[in-house]
Amino acid sequence: MNAWQPGQALLLNTERFLLRSLTVADATDTYVAWWNDAEVQAGLGMRPRGWGRTEAERHIAKFDNRQRFHLGIFPKHAVLPIGFIALFLEGGARARTNIVIGNKQYWGQRVVLEVREAALAFLFERIGVHKVYGQVDSRNFASVFNYKAQGFACEGVLREHTMDADGERHDLVNFGLLRDEWRARRTPGRREPGGVR
Amino acid sequence: MTNDDPARIARNLLAAALRMEVDTLEPDAAIGRTERWDSLAHMNLILALEAHLGRPLDVDTMLAIESLADIQTLLENDQAG
Repeated sequence: MNAWQPGQALLLNTERFLLRSLTVADATDTYVAWWNDAEVQAGLGMRPRGWGRTEAERHIAKFDNRQRFHLGIFPKHAVLPIGFIALFLEGGARARTNIVIGNKQYWGQRVVLEVREAALAFLFERIGVHKVYGQVDSRNFASVFNYKAQGFACEGVLREHTMDADGERHDLVNFGLLRDEWRARRTPGRREPGGVR
Repeated sequence: MTNDDPARIARNLLAAALRMEVDTLEPDAAIGRTERWDSLAHMNLILALEAHLGRPLDVDTMLAIESLADIQTLLENDQAG
């Protein structure tokens, strides 16, 4: 099991990627550009932020590796990340995740499924949360796919809950996964959704 | 089958989204069963369905699409209208 202690940088390992806590030194031009990219931010249901390096450093500094984690997604043997995953621990043994794949060459490469699986193992087994959940714009079809393929249940739709850059309102879909559901999905011999190992 | 046969259209739309030849698409193609059915393919599939139908899918319909059979059912229901 991961030897992480609260407050320490977190390092998780997947088949193709290393996930590690970002520091202000990771606020590179590439990282900053993700916050200002319309397509990338649309995945978070947000508009481009207009950030510079200062804003990016402030954002990274908000993560304490206790209740809030901001992990860069580094292809093994690569220097720069291709995106990040944020984990937020909440009351009631609950956690929320956000994932951004900033490097578009990795879109459609099942990165989200692989990375979030490692995050789920950390949250359920190391932290001991009971439930992980996420919210996604209903027009973000790729993200909807990822939640469904990873076994999350759709727990409801918040109708016309968000508004895009053009003023159009969108539904917000709630997805949730319970620890027992996640453990059952990992039963040996059972094929994982989407071929995730 | 005719050109507007829902089964044929469903297979054509899904095969295109998955970047596969129609003949190689298995009848039980589904999320979790079909390796090429990834997030980008799913996005392309929903957009292709909306283009075919000429309208956006409502959220419940979109969420229900998990297999080739689901796509065919959607198209049949649309034709029955």
